[in-house]
Amino acid sequence: MSKDKTTNVLYYPYRIISIFLLVTLFFPGLNVARISGMIGRSTSLLTSGFSYGNLVANFGRAFKKGWVLESTMHLLNISSLIICIGIILCAVGACFSLGNRKCRFTGNLLTAVGTLAAVVSMSGIWKAYFQIAATKKPSKVEPMFQDFYYVMLILLIVLFINAVVQLILVGRPVKGEKFEMETKFKLFLMFLPFILLAFVFSYLPLWGWRYAFFDYKSGDTLSMENFVGFKWFGQLVRNKSTTRDILNVMKNTLAMSGLGIATSWLPMAFAIFLSEIRNSKFRRFVQTFTTIPNFISWVLVFAIAFCIFSTDGFISSLMVNLGIWTEGKNFLMSGSHTWLKMLLWGLWKGLGWSAIIYIAGISGIDQQLYEAATVDGAGRFQKMWHVTVPGLMPTFYVLLLMAVAGILSNGMEQYMVFENSSNTAQIMVLDLYVYKMGIVKGAIPLSTVVGMLKSVVSVTLLWIANSISKLLRGETIV
Amino acid sequence: MGKFKRRPGDVVFDIINGLFFALFTLVCIFPFYYLFINTISDNELVRKGLVNFIPRGIHFENYIRLLQVNDLFTSFAITLARTILGTLLMVLASAFVGYMVTQQEMWGRSFWYRFLVITMYFNAGIIPWYLNMSMLGLTNTFWAYIIPGIVAPYNIILVKTYIESAIPLELQESASLDGASHLKIFWKIILPLSKPILATIAIFGAVGHWNSFQDSLILMQSAPKLYTLQHRLYIYLNTTSNLSALMSAGSTSGISKTVLDSALNGKVIKYTIAMVTIIPILLVYPFMQRYFEKGIMIGAVKG
Repeated sequence: MSKDKTTNVLYYPYRIISIFLLVTLFFPGLNVARISGMIGRSTSLLTSGFSYGNLVANFGRAFKKGWVLESTMHLLNISSLIICIGIILCAVGACFSLGNRKCRFTGNLLTAVGTLAAVVSMSGIWKAYFQIAATKKPSKVEPMFQDFYYVMLILLIVLFINAVVQLILVGRPVKGEKFEMETKFKLFLMFLPFILLAFVFSYLPLWGWRYAFFDYKSGDTLSMENFVGFKWFGQLVRNKSTTRDILNVMKNTLAMSGLGIATSWLPMAFAIFLSEIRNSKFRRFVQTFTTIPNFISWVLVFAIAFCIFSTDGFISSLMVNLGIWTEGKNFLMSGSHTWLKMLLWGLWKGLGWSAIIYIAGISGIDQQLYEAATVDGAGRFQKMWHVTVPGLMPTFYVLLLMAVAGILSNGMEQYMVFENSSNTAQIMVLDLYVYKMGIVKGAIPLSTVVGMLKSVVSVTLLWIANSISKLLRGETIV
Repeated sequence: MGKFKRRPGDVVFDIINGLFFALFTLVCIFPFYYLFINTISDNELVRKGLVNFIPRGIHFENYIRLLQVNDLFTSFAITLARTILGTLLMVLASAFVGYMVTQQEMWGRSFWYRFLVITMYFNAGIIPWYLNMSMLGLTNTFWAYIIPGIVAPYNIILVKTYIESAIPLELQESASLDGASHLKIFWKIILPLSKPILATIAIFGAVGHWNSFQDSLILMQSAPKLYTLQHRLYIYLNTTSNLSALMSAGSTSGISKTVLDSALNGKVIKYTIAMVTIIPILLVYPFMQRYFEKGIMIGAVKG
């Protein structure tokens, strides 16, 4: 029994180290194969191993001039690849450790082989480093050695020893024994890849928030030297032009979201009045064709706007041909009524679609309520107002609260496609501003700060909206 | 609603109401029609702005000429590929994960389910997202279009809700008693029986992929070959804004000279490309409408 206990205890570091090593494969900052400054800062060990093209992307000149031998890079590439595969084997081995003796035995075998291969390949990186360090042009090639190399090596060796000990402790499975694992773990392992995907694409970006505290330009490394604390947060209020920009952006954002919220009853009205039409074919027709714009992208909406409102678009050519105007006008290039125009485009695209949920809501209202209202002498509009509208209110509240929670997130596509030199001051919303500042102008820390504050405020608003809903209706919205 | 006598006021209301909806519908359809007739009418008439309501001098040469524009064709192929592959993987993953989270036996089930669902309500922001993608080496690769979209929490909730409400548990239990593994139950029972919900999320996924613009814009900065169709259209719409400059420059923004030398003018090029981008949606729409509507309705029921 004590043997089993030892095994179980030993398995904890075993699993943790395996998962840790697996995760480090994705982090360029922990890439032990980055032995030269010419290897991209965003190259992870996984990339180094699986994409030779990416690894040597900046080496064209170095190869030509003979600063670096191609064989060195091949060695580096293959070593990285084997380390990656070795670590993946370890991770698989750790998964197997959840099963019966046969599973554990196989897992230990995989881990032992994987770690051994990885440790051997670590020497390949070592060798490649010395070849690179011997270059004729150290100023260009920038040979460097990652401290994490030692950490990784030690972890791999620990894992190897652990696996070998486990192999001895667990012992060979009896002949004819089958791979077996408890259902709960089996299910978990099937689920695991998706958890990892969600982690990598939804949680890992939060790690990028650290850029908000550093003085960072694209291509720099983050180190304590360029740690600036809350400097960028302070910049929002101290730097006059930034503050002015932000205030203007906030004004636009709140104005356009506000207009959206102020008109959020329109889909409901649309649905109510549409259901007043008694010809079901016509009703169906309207419903079908008013929904189409929802399914085209904002770029296409802009193409539509272009063909109707540009200098040689529909309106202009009609007016010119009728002799009312002497030449075409370009409505898209004007800076007036931008907020209103954006609202109208939003309605054009979304009104029919948003109404569907209310149309379905109306068909769900108890017919007896209408009959009772008729008996009470209610007219058509009274029934709409006193029966239909209250019946739709719960849906309306939920959507309204969601809209309030999303007040800062109006997305950037619509505003980006409609933006031009004459309306940019009115159309710049928060999402677009962050994109322009971060991606186009490269001010990564400042735009991260703004994005970060936005995320925090949005989550808070959502939480408040949810609490209000809980308080008023006893139901949560998320 | 209900029966009532029609008074004069009602008649007036009905007429105004009907007119309003007719007008709104017209506003929704007419731009598409206008765009279309301008791409098939005589280019000279279009240039003069004389094609407003009825197509004149019908021909389809503009569409044929567009085939010669290489980067447009590449973008079309890329977008088609991501739509098919991305949707397929997303649907399979949503179905599988949706099934997995209904399995009470799973180790840490409710924790992991929350772990997935909570990602709907926060995001790190566009810059950290971009830095993350570049850290993972996904920028300027086709896979950046596919992999991040595989796990779609909202769709997972839809599938989970559907499985719980529409597929009787006894079915799974009896299959399990007969010795079927979870994978087999998923493949033979869950997948076929959840077809309606899978069709719905597939449609929404496909439309999303087809309309994708932002990821192409931000992630493919140095890989123009991987631009999506929407991104390409956006570029065309903007660079050819100044028609005279384009004409004098002869060939810019990748539109080949042959196309420009022909009677095509900038306006028609834009219209035709826009039409090519819209047509697939319009073609698919009538068949898929019921799924679209179902989609928003299931969305109303929370998971």
